[in-house]
Amino acid sequence: MKIRSDILRTYQSLHTWTGITAGLLLFIGFFAGALTMFSSAINDWATPPEYQLPQVKTDEHDVLLQQVLSSSPEALKGVTVSFEESSSPISWYGHGSARGFSMDDQVWHATLNEQGDMITELRHVNELSMLVDYLHRSAGIMGELGHDQAGVYVLGIAAFLYFIALVSGVVFLLPSLVKSFFALRKEKGANRFWLDSHNLVGIASLPFHIIIAVTVIVFSFHDLFYGGLSQVYGDKPMFGGGEAHEEVKYELKDLPSLNQIKQAALIYAPGYEVKSISLSRLKSEHPSTTVMIISDRTLMRGPHNDYVFMNPFTLEVDSSSVTNETGQQGIWGAVVTSFFGLHFGSYGGELGRWLYFVMGLGGAFLFYSGNLIWLEKRRKKQTLEQSRSSHFMANLTIGVTLGCAIGLAGVFASSKWLSLADWNINIAYMWIYYTLFLGTMASAFILGAARFSILGLKLFIVLCLAVPLNSLIAIVLPSIGIWGPDSLADLGVELGIVGFAMAALFALKHVKNRVYQGEENSIWYCPTVSKNQKAVRLV
Amino acid sequence: MSKTDKIQPHWWSKTLAGVFAGFFLALGLVGIFAWLGPTGLTEQITPEQRSWKTQFNMWMIAPLWCLILSFVYMFKTGKQAWLYLGSGAVLSIAIVYALRSYL
Repeated sequence: MKIRSDILRTYQSLHTWTGITAGLLLFIGFFAGALTMFSSAINDWATPPEYQLPQVKTDEHDVLLQQVLSSSPEALKGVTVSFEESSSPISWYGHGSARGFSMDDQVWHATLNEQGDMITELRHVNELSMLVDYLHRSAGIMGELGHDQAGVYVLGIAAFLYFIALVSGVVFLLPSLVKSFFALRKEKGANRFWLDSHNLVGIASLPFHIIIAVTVIVFSFHDLFYGGLSQVYGDKPMFGGGEAHEEVKYELKDLPSLNQIKQAALIYAPGYEVKSISLSRLKSEHPSTTVMIISDRTLMRGPHNDYVFMNPFTLEVDSSSVTNETGQQGIWGAVVTSFFGLHFGSYGGELGRWLYFVMGLGGAFLFYSGNLIWLEKRRKKQTLEQSRSSHFMANLTIGVTLGCAIGLAGVFASSKWLSLADWNINIAYMWIYYTLFLGTMASAFILGAARFSILGLKLFIVLCLAVPLNSLIAIVLPSIGIWGPDSLADLGVELGIVGFAMAALFALKHVKNRVYQGEENSIWYCPTVSKNQKAVRLV
Repeated sequence: MSKTDKIQPHWWSKTLAGVFAGFFLALGLVGIFAWLGPTGLTEQITPEQRSWKTQFNMWMIAPLWCLILSFVYMFKTGKQAWLYLGSGAVLSIAIVYALRSYL
């Protein structure tokens, strides 16, 4: 395909500058985002086996619910009944709420013992996945802005640059696309190989990346868009109908059984399975129920499930994320739901999650390799001395990418030990992550990208391998109080971490090669004897 | 090709045109669709239909804006970018305003 050379040049600069400014932020977003695919497994792994109270028999949920509602007024505001084997049968927030970002949420868990008496426990929410999700949504940029984290808006802006980078990348790749799409030219030097794989991954996962870019922009700036839209709408309402709502006072004793609620949801959404039921504002004039339902065969709107919203007393369905003949979602609802599902990767069950995990890591690779290509292009080919900006960018690239990975590995390695002490574990996670991240950044700048990349990878491998080592300690010395994996998901988390260690080991081999035996004029080259080199430079 | 036919960089003016004029153009286009398109604002619809359609409309602003931002650099000069996108924005917003007033 032929494209005018001035257009090509324009879009090449555009790709370079949008890529280099947004790339590292997006790297963190994608790396952490890939991990969020397994957030429930991660939480299960990070909490002791007795953290969730034992599930009750299927017909006992109603008995337990009645006891909870009559004994805890807080539960009337919002209570969740779960039917999943791995979670407590009933839970409700004692402090904080499910919405928003808070590190000291406390949740009551309730179950029945063998005599049929209610047992309740107040537990801090230990959500390792919350930290991962926080990094995913904010890239670890601290501070609040309005009702969201400042980092969310920063990533929103990065997503605009990302979209432009995608379009411009495709535009200036078009002329050579057909010729060299599947070419992975190893023999033409490392740079060619990086460029080819960057293009291959970018083009192959382009639809995924376009969806992610657009959804991130909407997640970050929907307030702005709704604000603009409300001007467009004028007097027309955006939501709701303005029709008079019937004021009915409901009596708690008239609450249908959970089974009836379940059936009502399944009649509306056949083929689904009910995961949990949340009841809220039961004593108010507007009580509501959210039935969380799952299916592996459709695209789900939420990260983990679909929803049916209904009145718990009349069982009238208000709305749902499931398309149903009697519902009124139509094509508009279907498109909106698809956007959410395509961002969250909540379709196709386990397979979909793995696919998104791989594509998320692929995205992280895209941004890392983009920076490498930038560095290779700008370096001076004939001299040992490279420009300050090249060194700065190399240090930053290594500092951010390894910093994020080392920070997360450190949190995973220490998580179980942290749970032994009596403190807020979520704040401890933050301290560990930021200490490691900032320490890595500082070391990358002090030692230089080339030298630090070896050290950093080694540290990452050690931290990753500490995870299965912890489990070994837990099995050999159970008296310490940490625990080993006790489910398939837990085992999966540990195997995944070992996988990361293996990948890093493979990278380490190549990095060592690049640093000690690579091209001398590369910014990655360092002779083995570093002191001499420094002395020469000082003279 | 002579120099005057070539695309001039004009990074700042084109980017600003894409950001500001582009946003209002995207909003205006979505607005026209919201009023005149299917399940439009003049139709009698249920609250649930309205909720989904409003969400859909909101979702459409972002991709439109992104496309404008991505292709604004195709304009030869920053001035042209402002001229075309600006008048497009003014026109589409004016239509929305008229629809709002008369429908």
